[in-house]
Amino acid sequence: MSQIELRNVRKSFGNADVIHGVSLAIEQGEFTVFVGPSGCGKSTLLRMIAGLEEVTDGEIHIGGKDVTDEEPSDRGVAMVFQSYALYPHMTVADNMSFGLRMAHRPKAEIADKVGKAARILQLEELLDRKPGQLSGGQRQRVAIGRAIVRDPQVFLFDEPLSNLDAELRVQMRVEIAKLHQTLGNTMIYVTHDQTEALTLADRIVVLRAGRIEQVGTPLELYDDPDNAFVAGFIGSPRMNFLAASASSGNRLAIGGTEVETPVTFDTGTPLQFGIRPEHLDEETGVTLPLKVEVVEQLGSTAYVHGTLATGETLVAERRRDRPRPGETIELRFDPAKVRLFGEDGQRLR
Amino acid sequence: MAAAGRKEKRALWVIAIPMAILALSCVYPVFFAVNNALKSNRGYILDRFGVVTEPTLDNFVQAWTRSHLSEYFFNSVIVTVGAVTLLLVVSSLAGFALASLRFPYRKFIFVVILASLMIPVQVVLVPFYQTIINLGLLNTHAGLIISYTAFFLPFSVYLMTAFYSGLPRELIEAARIDGAKLLQVWWHVMLPMGKPALITLGILNTLYCWNDVLISLLVLQSDRTLMVGIAALRGEYTTNVPLLSAGIVLAAAPIVIIYVIFQRQIVSGIAVGAVKG
Repeated sequence: MSQIELRNVRKSFGNADVIHGVSLAIEQGEFTVFVGPSGCGKSTLLRMIAGLEEVTDGEIHIGGKDVTDEEPSDRGVAMVFQSYALYPHMTVADNMSFGLRMAHRPKAEIADKVGKAARILQLEELLDRKPGQLSGGQRQRVAIGRAIVRDPQVFLFDEPLSNLDAELRVQMRVEIAKLHQTLGNTMIYVTHDQTEALTLADRIVVLRAGRIEQVGTPLELYDDPDNAFVAGFIGSPRMNFLAASASSGNRLAIGGTEVETPVTFDTGTPLQFGIRPEHLDEETGVTLPLKVEVVEQLGSTAYVHGTLATGETLVAERRRDRPRPGETIELRFDPAKVRLFGEDGQRLR
Repeated sequence: MAAAGRKEKRALWVIAIPMAILALSCVYPVFFAVNNALKSNRGYILDRFGVVTEPTLDNFVQAWTRSHLSEYFFNSVIVTVGAVTLLLVVSSLAGFALASLRFPYRKFIFVVILASLMIPVQVVLVPFYQTIINLGLLNTHAGLIISYTAFFLPFSVYLMTAFYSGLPRELIEAARIDGAKLLQVWWHVMLPMGKPALITLGILNTLYCWNDVLISLLVLQSDRTLMVGIAALRGEYTTNVPLLSAGIVLAAAPIVIIYVIFQRQIVSGIAVGAVKG
């Protein structure tokens, strides 16, 4: 049985529908990441699971129990907020033990659990400090510690690393991944950062405008996206999309070149041709001439921005050489790496 | 350079002199009261504005004992402490509800509270007095405590709502996930976090309650609070100014002590509620 199950869950604020009948099952111990652009409803969905937003319609089950109308504290969840939400007037130890004190747990048990969590998160030296005396990373660890001591069935993270600088974010990302390995609890993590999603998740849920676009492992979403939105959202730099039309059967005209595809179409069918920048640096394959405009140097690799003969813009990775702006280079790609989408954005297989 | 320096110095004097006169106008009544409180009645009649030559504490003793100011003082302490405590508890709870909870007509209730801020006490004196009689609260400390709470509550609720609106919602949500019920959220999170606003409110309301004459005169007729007692020291034809001055000094003393203790919080709390978020 799934640890968390959302059954046709809907949420409306007044007349505005923000979550349109979402159904999802999350397995015990799974690290699930909700990802999507701003306003897609990922945080709202997380808050509905936490019990902080009322469910307009549908059911939420946690651990086999219907918790749709339960109080947040009765759902067996703990949440880590983007702003940390630490109580500024309490010490680190008091912050971490707050939930246990509310549950009237014995003092010895509280001290034991806080001590254990502090050891896991290396907070032992900071237990007597107040949140105002801590750095951003330390505060985030305290917020995670507050969640750990309650020993919840499910951890909920609402963009927990957004307020940290780039270096600390990478460090905390690794710490969260280690924590998941150590504790083995079910975790749901909300982010708009697809790198966080790809690196942390067992499974990613891509959301757009209150609907699930695709659910899958990071590699499934990267290699086998169901639609142009997921293909464009997952991967950095994003996938290139070029307008294409079927010239005959399985041949496509794109960017002034003809490509043979495994799919056959009616002649003249308008299509979207998708190829990732990293797949345009092959030694053999179909050739696509590109006039270089800008070159982004990243040390081990470079991204070339340029225009095709049709005037369409394109980004390509260049690992072996560094072209100069103004040059025309030949990009080569394997047609098997091409992803085709219909006019409605749905994948054509 | 030198000319510019002289010009700057002259400009400084232009500002300093009116400021000094203003400061003097504030300090002089304090000096006048303390100076005359230390004079005998005869000494005052002989030299009204001169500095006291033979200081005496007789006026303080007489005001405290024979003029019953000791009794009135404790009446004032009871009603002020009672009303301020009630005001802080109720306004903090109401502020928490209006700022953080979602319930129907929340904005309308807040507007009604704001509107009641605009009604002067004098306008409602007759129905207020009638209500106090009907409730059997005339001449009771409880009556005066409730009256002060009622009159000073709208401003207090407004201030606490503005303050709590500026606190992050996540704090309440985190506490709810941690298992705190609404009253526990208020007690463990909102009340301690509202300390700056509550201290400001406590001081302002202490001043209002302590210095009030009008409401006290209506509700506590058989007994008196300190300010009413002091007002009564003024005779119709003659006034014992040194005695009155001693009463004023005695009445002002607790307020001055409170100010000295909480000086820093008062200054930092003045801007509370001025900026939301």
